[in-house]
Amino acid sequence: MKAFTNANPRDLPHALTLIQQAQSSGRHASIAGGGSDLLGMIKERIVEPDVLINLRALKGLDQVAAEKSGLKIGGLTTLDALSRHQTIRRQYTVLAEAAESVATPQIRNVGTIAGNVCQRPWCWYFRNGFPCYKAGGNQCFSINGENQFHAIFGGGPSFIVHPSDTAPALVALDAKFHIAGPKGDRRLSPVDFFVLPRQNAARENSLANDEVLASIEIPSPRAGTRSTYHKVMDREAWTHAVVSAAIVLEMDKDVCRSARIVLGGVAPVPWRVPDAERVLAGQRITPELAAKAGEVAVAEAKPLAKNAYKVPLTKAVVRRTILQLVQRG
Amino acid sequence: MSETLKPLKTVGHPTPRIDALERVTGAGHYTGDVKLPGMLYARVLRSPHAHARIRKIDVSKAEALPGVKAVVTLENCNFVWGAGSVAGGIQYNDEIKKNTRQRRHAFNNPVRFVGDPVAAVAATDRHIAEDALHLIAVDYEVLPHVLEPEEALKPGAPQIWPEGNFALNPRNEQQPMGQKRGNVEEGFRASDHVFEDRYSTAFVHNAQMEPRACVAQWEGDKLTVYTPTGGIANCRHDIARDLGLPDDNVRVICQYMGGNFGNKNQNQDADLITASLAKLAGAPVKLELSRKEDFIGMHGRWPTVQYYKVGVSNDGTLKAIQLRGFSGMGGYRKNSGAIGGIECYQCPNIETVITPVYTNKTVSGNFRGPEYPQGYFGIQSMMDDVAYKMKMDPVDFVLKNMTRKANDSAEYTNYTLEECIRRGAEAFEWKKRWRQSPGSDPGPVKRGAGFAFMSFRSGVGHSNAILRVDSKGRYFVHVGVTDVGAGAKTTMGLIAAEALEVPLSQIEVVWGDTGRCPFSVGESGSRTTIMTGHAVIEAAQDLKKQIAEKGLPKGSDFLTASAGPTPRIQGGKVRNTFGAHFVEVEVDTELGRAHVTKYLCVHDCGRVMNPLTGISQIKGGAIMGIGMALHEDLVYDRASGAPLSAGYYGARISTHRDVPDVEVMFIESDDGYGPYGAKSMGESSKVPAVAAVGNAVFNAIGRRMKDLPITKDKIIGALA
Repeated sequence: MKAFTNANPRDLPHALTLIQQAQSSGRHASIAGGGSDLLGMIKERIVEPDVLINLRALKGLDQVAAEKSGLKIGGLTTLDALSRHQTIRRQYTVLAEAAESVATPQIRNVGTIAGNVCQRPWCWYFRNGFPCYKAGGNQCFSINGENQFHAIFGGGPSFIVHPSDTAPALVALDAKFHIAGPKGDRRLSPVDFFVLPRQNAARENSLANDEVLASIEIPSPRAGTRSTYHKVMDREAWTHAVVSAAIVLEMDKDVCRSARIVLGGVAPVPWRVPDAERVLAGQRITPELAAKAGEVAVAEAKPLAKNAYKVPLTKAVVRRTILQLVQRG
Repeated sequence: MSETLKPLKTVGHPTPRIDALERVTGAGHYTGDVKLPGMLYARVLRSPHAHARIRKIDVSKAEALPGVKAVVTLENCNFVWGAGSVAGGIQYNDEIKKNTRQRRHAFNNPVRFVGDPVAAVAATDRHIAEDALHLIAVDYEVLPHVLEPEEALKPGAPQIWPEGNFALNPRNEQQPMGQKRGNVEEGFRASDHVFEDRYSTAFVHNAQMEPRACVAQWEGDKLTVYTPTGGIANCRHDIARDLGLPDDNVRVICQYMGGNFGNKNQNQDADLITASLAKLAGAPVKLELSRKEDFIGMHGRWPTVQYYKVGVSNDGTLKAIQLRGFSGMGGYRKNSGAIGGIECYQCPNIETVITPVYTNKTVSGNFRGPEYPQGYFGIQSMMDDVAYKMKMDPVDFVLKNMTRKANDSAEYTNYTLEECIRRGAEAFEWKKRWRQSPGSDPGPVKRGAGFAFMSFRSGVGHSNAILRVDSKGRYFVHVGVTDVGAGAKTTMGLIAAEALEVPLSQIEVVWGDTGRCPFSVGESGSRTTIMTGHAVIEAAQDLKKQIAEKGLPKGSDFLTASAGPTPRIQGGKVRNTFGAHFVEVEVDTELGRAHVTKYLCVHDCGRVMNPLTGISQIKGGAIMGIGMALHEDLVYDRASGAPLSAGYYGARISTHRDVPDVEVMFIESDDGYGPYGAKSMGESSKVPAVAAVGNAVFNAIGRRMKDLPITKDKIIGALA
């Protein structure tokens, strides 16, 4: 790794000041929450910060506030804490299950929700130092290369898949992303927070270099809401999703009032499939209907040379996850 | 039924490792823990190109960086790394080193794979050393590269060595490996059915927990090397030969090490580079490789392509087997590239032709049963397939066609293969779990059962031991073992206690230091228990005789006995260990997920010296086999020749959740050889595991998976 200095801010405004000071003097600042992924990238020289702004000591940002109107999750809340939080387990199940599916217990003990949502892609070209779009270059090596884990939706010019498990869950729960920056705070919807490569090929979200994802807000679920996260991996633990589905259904007895279906592992952002959601809305959910939702979910898929298997896989995941959720009751 | 062994007093009882406490409390001193006064830290610069000629290296800026004490490149460090290019897979020796034309140096030009060392730096801390690497300017002329062995043999393929990509043997000949018995063409003509198929296996890394590390210290022309090695004696001799020193000037120390699986035999370039830096800097130097460097810079199992042709008669009797195989050796031939497995069938006509081929991938070398798990996957998948096509139960097919004599000619010292298979099939409830019609389970989630068997070398041979006793009746057992994970320190203690008829608590094992231990064969080839264990028994008998004659020594005196026996198998027989693995898998055909739900290993390893570590050995091999069958792979980018999935995360090494509760059954037979009847164990359980899992997947889904690993894309693709 390149030598860097560490800065421990007192509070969030101080952290923002430190970031600004570093940047105005031409130094590159990296923001560390749990640091579990960042440290690896620094060691591999994928990121070369001059200053590490260590948020870990900040007070109050690791709290989950459960209120009538909904949840407010501090950005420094660990994945482990999220997955064990009783209200989240009960009322926002998809988020608890997504948090629980991340990596390993060691990583969940230090990894934070903000870090998980904002983590850089795990595309093996990016992680192995290829000068791709995500590294500031101007090509995507996967297009004619080893693209078995790459995007079937929303690709181009980069074909990475968004690596986060909690992000699809948050999008399915219609979360708002609360961003703190030097020019004030912003509160973004998922569609504005996550950005496709065609909007900005170098980034996965709209955070500016001097901004911090401070907290995430989730509206409280309506009566009859149930949710789940299904993650398909190519070994039984410690990998990112090959395909995943975060599904939230608002049920009235056996009729689905509304649905939100968000896919992971298949697109450069958490990939919502509104057409599939509409298949379910207002309907009694049958195996046939779930299968139709699966079909519709992949209708727009554009696989690359080596990832066509993700199309039937996604279809099956959507169908089965809907049915499991309905049967769960 | 086999002859059973009589119970013993100490050997054969479950015994915790004698160094277990030190290992789990952090008190054990691994190479990475060694810290010497004034020690420098080294880092290695590796080629980012799969194939390139180095026009020029400029190290002046690196040398000028404050804290940098030594920089080595091929210009000032040009010795031949003998064990890096064995050229033939036989134990490397001085004669080969002299004759062989395709030599591997510490630093090579051209560089032949991404990760080939180009330079190394020693500095006052490892970060300065790493910064210095970035100041070394290397002018590369990038050359075309080739990654797959069959492509590398095509006309016009990039040439990795001047003689071509067909790797030379120690006599500098392009000679395929193989065996011939009878006449396969006649055999195929005499067959009622002839089947042909192609199988392939991937490059998988040993993935032992501890990456390579080394500390080197010079005192005048005497060199001490701390290094994790399975064979301190071989390592010392290799280092001495490569650096041009007498053996006596080199001392190799390895007190604790974190796994081997064939990755830490003999010496490594890391040892030689560290020693060279220490010499140049005039200070001790430590080098530790990162996980990624360990994956791409050392070696793994050679990938293979295997073309089989098999002839059988109507009653399912084998008439002829032909194998044309290609092994990818990487840029240097560090091991043979052989493909084993055909020898476990009885067949009058056999022909195998195996070509070791240079490619621009990471080097292939030793890995737990070097040529077998991949070869067994090929041949035992092929034969499994033939059984189905002949409408036979695969177990019946094997019982009809399995080896009964070594190469159909030499008697085994004893033969328990049939017993392993029959007892395993019964305990596993094979008839119940196996689907007569593969893939017939209704619904998307299907179960199936598979099986594979194994016959593996278990020869006897030379090793040494020195035993001493003091006036208080404490026994010191000097053996050149390091314990690569199989428990050799404890096993030697148990054998000594048994032979001396004293409790284990009176035994002190002295290990892992060529300055204090005699020659031992090295913990590779599953031979330490048999060979060094035998030497311990002989030395113990001598010591007991001395004590009987003279009594215990007085004061500070010791009685000493040493032994260096070279036992042999009598009557031209062959000594093998046998086993059978039975696997049940559940395959979710929609999700492409194959998961092992039941796994039974039946092994005859002769006497099991320590059931606690013995069971772990067998389980460990099965677990590695599951990983190799279902997900492990070092994926390469074709365009650049760069590896993309190095490391525990990327290469998809098995996690605890991937591993079922592996059941182990031992048959302890007595063939009259080995210390107290012990046979080999360490490698044997990896050998049939991959094939057994693959055969179970076939039984579940009714599609033959011919290319490893059996990943989602392949399962979903096969059923689409």
